[in-house]
Amino acid sequence: MDAYPEVIERISQKITDKGVTPDRGRIASKLNLLVKEFSIPIEEAERTVTNEMMREYKLDSIPRSGGSDELTEVASAKPGAWVTIEGKVVALQASPSPSIAQKGIIADASGAIEFVVWAKANAPIMEEGQWYRLESAVVDEFRGSPNLKVHSGTTISAIEEERGFIPQMTPLADVRPGVVSVRAKVIQLWEVRHERMLQTGLVGDESGTTKFVIWKSDGAEPLEEGMVYTIYFATAEEFNGRVSLNLGGAEWCREEGADIEVSRREGKTITGAFVHLGTGTGLIKRCKVEGCNRALSRQNFCPVHEIQQDFRYDLRITGVVDDGTSAHNVLLQLAATEKITGLSLQSAVEMAENNPLGLDDVFIRMQELLMGRYISCSGNDIEGTMLVRDGDNIEPVEFDTARHAGLINRAGTPAGGAQE
Amino acid sequence: MTDQYSARRYVREPARRVYANELREVRLHFKDGTDEKSPTYVMLPTGVRCNRIFVCGEMILKEKKGEDTTFYSVRVRDPTGIFFVNAGSYQQEAMQQIARIEQGSFVAVVGKPVVRSMEDGSVFVSVRAESVFPVDRDTYRLWVDDAAEQTLDRIDAFRTTPDSEKAAEFYNTNPEIYRQMVAAALRTIEF
Repeated sequence: MDAYPEVIERISQKITDKGVTPDRGRIASKLNLLVKEFSIPIEEAERTVTNEMMREYKLDSIPRSGGSDELTEVASAKPGAWVTIEGKVVALQASPSPSIAQKGIIADASGAIEFVVWAKANAPIMEEGQWYRLESAVVDEFRGSPNLKVHSGTTISAIEEERGFIPQMTPLADVRPGVVSVRAKVIQLWEVRHERMLQTGLVGDESGTTKFVIWKSDGAEPLEEGMVYTIYFATAEEFNGRVSLNLGGAEWCREEGADIEVSRREGKTITGAFVHLGTGTGLIKRCKVEGCNRALSRQNFCPVHEIQQDFRYDLRITGVVDDGTSAHNVLLQLAATEKITGLSLQSAVEMAENNPLGLDDVFIRMQELLMGRYISCSGNDIEGTMLVRDGDNIEPVEFDTARHAGLINRAGTPAGGAQE
Repeated sequence: MTDQYSARRYVREPARRVYANELREVRLHFKDGTDEKSPTYVMLPTGVRCNRIFVCGEMILKEKKGEDTTFYSVRVRDPTGIFFVNAGSYQQEAMQQIARIEQGSFVAVVGKPVVRSMEDGSVFVSVRAESVFPVDRDTYRLWVDDAAEQTLDRIDAFRTTPDSEKAAEFYNTNPEIYRQMVAAALRTIEF
C-alpha cells in the first residue's frame, strides 16, 4: 500500500509529460525512505524525489518542466507558477537590499507585474524601456501582490525588435493588489502627515474612488486637484481590506480639458428589495459622553455610561436587502437614511415627540416606506454588514423599459421554436 | 459566547422570486439536516430549493377567519395566478400589517412556502407571511421583471445543478412551459 498516492501520481505525471514512463514502485520506495526513515516533510520529499527521478531519466530538472516554455501573459501569472514571459521593463527601482540585484516592473499588453532579480542569480542587468524574454521565472506573493522572481535557473534574453503595446487600463473598482494602470480624476487632496510623503488624496473614475500616495523621491511631481490623469504602472496595495495606489515608480500624464464623472460609490454594490428591517431602525438616541456615541436603550441607558439624560438623536436603518439569491445585512447611516426615506432627522424627531407611539411611529413609517421596495446601495463590509455611509451610495431602483424589453426577448426565444 | 458564535454562523435564507403558477406546482418539501432547527425547504419545479419567497401582487381578497384564534387569509394575484397567504397568531406583526391594508392594494409579501396534503389527497401550497406591506404599482412592475429574470436564470441553469437534477427527476419539468409562463407574465406589464 503506497502511503502518498497523490504525490506519487503527481511525480510520475511530471515524468510522463517528458515522454518517459517512470517506475512508480521506485518513486514510492524513495518517498517512503525519506518520509518514514528520515522524517522529511512530504512537500520537501516530493521535490527531492522529483529531482532525483528527473536526473535518473536524464530529463531537465524542475524549473524547465511543467510547461514553463510556453509563453504566459503577465496578467495571468499567478503566485506559485513557473512562467516564461516576454515584456518590457517599464520601471526600475532602487534595490532595497544587497541580496537583490534589480527591482522593477515588467509589462506586456495584458498587464504588469513587479519583479525582483536575486543577486545570486548572476543575471545580466536589464535596462528600462527594453523588451526581454524571461524563461523559467517563478511567481510568488509579496504583501498580497504577485511578484516575479528571477533566480539562477532563469534565462534572460533581450528582444531586439521594437514592440509597441498599450497598457491595459483597470477601472478603480476592479483594482487588486499588484501593478495597475488607471485613468482617473484627482478629486481630493489631503493634508500630508509624514515627512517622506509628497502627496496623498483621493482619485476617482466612473467605477469608484481610491486613495493614492506619492512618496518623496527625485523628480516626483504632485498631482493637481480636479485634473484627469492617465497613470501607468502604479502599485496597488491592500491595507485593512482597502486598496490604495502607490504612485512611486509610476508614470502619469495629464489630460488637458478632460473630465470624468466620478462615482462616489464605495466598496461593493448590491441591488435588491428590503425584506426585513431590524429593531435598530429609525430614530435612536446616542450617548453624548465624549468618544462614546453608543446607541442608548429606550430607558436612556448606555451600556458603558449607564443612564444618560443628555443625548443626541440620530436616524439609521438596519435591515436586510435581498437580491433573490442571497440576503445582505445593511446599515444605512443618517444621510443615506434621509435620502432613501425622504424623512429628515428633524421631521423624524417631530414625529416622535408629537405622537403617542413616539419612536415606534418612526419605525412603522420607515417600514411602510421601505419594505418590499427595490434599492441599489454600496459600501464596505464590516463583519458581515454593509455600511452605507451617505446619499451618494444609495438610490431607489426604477422601472427600466430597456430591461423589460430585453426580458421579453429572452423569454420569447425558446430553444427550438418561433416567437408566438 | 455561544450566542455570538451561532449568530456568526447563521446565514439568512434568501427570498426567492417565484410566480404563483410555479409555486402552485410545488410538491417536494424536505428538511436539510436532522437537527430540530434545521431549515425546511420546498423544491421549485425550475430547480432551486427555497425556504423563503418574496412576491408582489394585488390583494384581491382579505378575510379574517377562525373563532378563538383568529388569522388572516389573503389572496394575492400576480400575472400568472394567485398566492394564498396566511398570517396567524404566531405571525402577529404580519397580522397587524394586513389589518391596516385595504383590499385591492398592491402588496409585497415576504414569507415561507408551506405544502399541505389535504384529506382528499389533494395538495395545497400556501405562504405563511412574515411581512405584508402595501407598495406602489412601479414596485409591482419591478417585481414582475425581477421574478421573470430569476425564473429564466433557473431555467437556463436547469439540469446543471444537483438541485435542478433532483427537480427534473421529481417533477419531470418541461422548462419550455415555464419560459412561456414568463413570456406571458411580461406581456401583462404595459410600458
